Amino acid sequence: MINPARAPFCAIFLNEVLVNSKRIAPYALMILFAANALLWWGWGPAVRLGWATNSDYYIVRNLLGFSFLLGLPIFNAVIMGDAVIRDFRLGVDPLIFSKPINRAEYLLGKFFGSFFVLVCCQSAFVITLLVLQAFRTSEMIVQPVRVFPYFKHFLFFVVISHLVLAAFYFTVGTLTRNAKIVYGLAVCFYPLYIAYQLFLLKGLPLRWRTILDPLLLNSGPGGGGFGHSADFLNRFVVSYTADMIANRVLVVLVAAVCLAILYVRFTTSERPGRVEKFSVLNLSTAAERVYYDSDSFQETRGRLLEAPDSKHKETQRILPLPEVARRNEGIRADVNKLIAALSVEFRLLRAERSLVVIMPLAIFLSVLEVAFYTVPPDVSYSAAYATNTAKLLLLFLIGITVFYTGEAMHRDREVRIEPVLWATPAPNNVLMLSKFLATLCLTFSLVALVGLSAIVIQFLRGHTPVDITAFLITYSVILLPGIVFMIGVSVALNVLLRDKYLAYAVSIGTGAGLFYLYSIGYNHWLYNPLLYHLWKYADLTGAGSNQATILLHGIYCLAIAGACLSVAHLFFQRKSTKGFQAEGRLSGTAWSILIAVVSVAIAAVTGFTINSSVP
Amino acid sequence: MLKINELKKTYSSRIQALKGISLEVPLGMFGLLGPNGAGKTTLMKIVATLLEPDSGTVEMNGTDLITRKDKARRMLGYLPQEFGLYPTLTAEQMLDYFAKLKGVTDKKQRRALIDILLERVNLSSARKQRLGGFSGGMRQRLGIAQALIGEPELIIVDEPTAGLDPEERVRFHNLLSETAGENTVVILSTHIVSDVSNLCSHMAVIRHGEILAACTPRQAIDGLKESVWEATVPREKVSALKSRYQVISSQMFEGLARLRVISKGQRPSEEFTPAAPALEDYYFDLVS
Repeated sequence: MINPARAPFCAIFLNEVLVNSKRIAPYALMILFAANALLWWGWGPAVRLGWATNSDYYIVRNLLGFSFLLGLPIFNAVIMGDAVIRDFRLGVDPLIFSKPINRAEYLLGKFFGSFFVLVCCQSAFVITLLVLQAFRTSEMIVQPVRVFPYFKHFLFFVVISHLVLAAFYFTVGTLTRNAKIVYGLAVCFYPLYIAYQLFLLKGLPLRWRTILDPLLLNSGPGGGGFGHSADFLNRFVVSYTADMIANRVLVVLVAAVCLAILYVRFTTSERPGRVEKFSVLNLSTAAERVYYDSDSFQETRGRLLEAPDSKHKETQRILPLPEVARRNEGIRADVNKLIAALSVEFRLLRAERSLVVIMPLAIFLSVLEVAFYTVPPDVSYSAAYATNTAKLLLLFLIGITVFYTGEAMHRDREVRIEPVLWATPAPNNVLMLSKFLATLCLTFSLVALVGLSAIVIQFLRGHTPVDITAFLITYSVILLPGIVFMIGVSVALNVLLRDKYLAYAVSIGTGAGLFYLYSIGYNHWLYNPLLYHLWKYADLTGAGSNQATILLHGIYCLAIAGACLSVAHLFFQRKSTKGFQAEGRLSGTAWSILIAVVSVAIAAVTGFTINSSVP
Repeated sequence: MLKINELKKTYSSRIQALKGISLEVPLGMFGLLGPNGAGKTTLMKIVATLLEPDSGTVEMNGTDLITRKDKARRMLGYLPQEFGLYPTLTAEQMLDYFAKLKGVTDKKQRRALIDILLERVNLSSARKQRLGGFSGGMRQRLGIAQALIGEPELIIVDEPTAGLDPEERVRFHNLLSETAGENTVVILSTHIVSDVSNLCSHMAVIRHGEILAACTPRQAIDGLKESVWEATVPREKVSALKSRYQVISSQMFEGLARLRVISKGQRPSEEFTPAAPALEDYYFDLVS
């Protein structure tokens, strides 16, 4: 009898778990989720409102929040999206498919292996909450210790919800073999889900809202518990109604349908686009390819070396390389190289297909409010348009700066051009700054396009006169320093962490943590680089009270960005000439340290001034 | 001349890749021969300034390549064992980029250089084609073209013919032999013995991070004069002969085994006849 543990499905499953256990992303996610559980336990509404931290209601509330917030649908895509793509990318696919394994075993092994890893990561959240029952602060209400409800609700509200998302991402990733499409869909999850809630579910009776909501966010007491007494909530027992069970069955069925479609459509063949085009150009000397054994090869080689078969070959061999002047020293040479590297970065960005989706989407969502809703003119219509679009742009600016910086910083390694580039006499600052400036130009062009769209909409809606200065001031004073700051920090994170997914996880985790802090009232200028909820247009014109602070804050952000870039240059993986001097001039290392020190000093002075000028 | 002195490198996985290598590489083509995992790529990466050694020095015409990386990169042309190219750029754009990074600022000079380089590597008609559509051989030829930009004094080619078909391999050999001028050191790292015997004036054999020998291919072959023997014997006899003599190759042919053995100064047995030594014999004699 065959040992089930040795069946192909189990082998694929275990291998998937093993491969994921060597990645950093699952551990980073576990830490992030556990930290989040700690935050919600100690600083969530339960302590403030007298809710028991381990009541049935609060467990479910936390799990539903966890399932939706914190970018969990995006992390789901990170784990599930490239499970099969990885095999094709690494070229392991022929080795696997040449074994006696069928499609179902392979696909299910891959799917459940990855999903198991995802559930393990998610369980860090629930296990942390479970363990935290043993601790309490003086204001905290804790009911007798319970274990089973944590896992029961986790399975019901989180695991099943994410099963359908996982099946969808896995199906799309496997069929398209393009991880970027999966990540694009993951990024689109929130707008699509919110639109689904607003435009489809909102008008339906509660029963249908419950049945048709894949995350079950409409179940339980409404209003996030805020309309009920603490006593009521502490005694509330979450029971699974028939509608909720029907929902879970529906969700599992949809997941099964996704996997069934995948099973039918999945092929193991090489995609035509990836096949090397040997026949496109006929550069061979012979009319057709002839393969030799070693003896005839030597003979033929001799003939080829001694008797070229055409005059063309003769000409080709004697062509001498022309002498060229080279300039590798001095700032001018570095600037020339930077321009060259930057133009290549632009060419590569132009070929990025994801931008075709992201840019129009970002522009559309940023101008959505000014295009379709009432815009109350605060100081002027232009000021209102500029303020509104600047605020809505923030999320996209964060996403674009984080993801495109990561892509740019790791692209050379991924396409394996790094050793060739690193052997050229281009200094590290050229290789690094080209990525920084390319992402900066990309985000500036997005801001410019949003500004232009807003101006056109303002004109079309008849909200004239159009005051371009309002847009220029708002974007340059509010958005520009924040963008430079974020790209600078992203560059440093990608250099220091050496792994783009880890950098993404850290960036998203930090961003989510900061927004959470801002939302619960811990909002301060020193740790709010995007000035979220800290400014209004009047501040920019001098009519408000914060004009000086905003300008200082801009300098503070730029100084931190400068320090981050210097640190990134210092720790850049490609080594340069050792020591502080090279050929009688300051070396790159010396410049980095100097700029880092000056930047930190400026950041410290401006930070101190800001801190003393705001309450 | 390139001088390597007491070069050591141990990876964080505790694998000692180089165990104090010393080597003098004269002008011209130099073959670095060794089996997979011998330390060739580690040595090449260190010389190409991409990897930091634990100790030792590498000097090219008096310049320390370890401490003066910026200067070293100005005299370097490097074709790594595995490399990629931006798939959305064309061959011309890629070479133009490398030329700019190597400091060729004059546009006319750069264009002339790229034209001739593309001509040399027989890619002129593919100059406007995107690199994503290039075959392995075309990519490799573009790789050598980029390594030739900027009149490098030191050219490093690491396993350049692995994966090429015989025809591309010949083409590549032609290119390399044309490249090795009077003022250039070309290091060809390979595990294919015929690449070295066909192209190189000097060679070294590396194994387990140590240099086993450094000489010219002629000296290597001369050292085995009257030491290589061949015989065609029944299959049953092979294991007995293998235990008594240093067998460097054994091929099955029509039910018989064709053996090639090294026996210095003495005929192994009656069935053996003397054979002309080849560089392969020298290599297998060293590494076996």
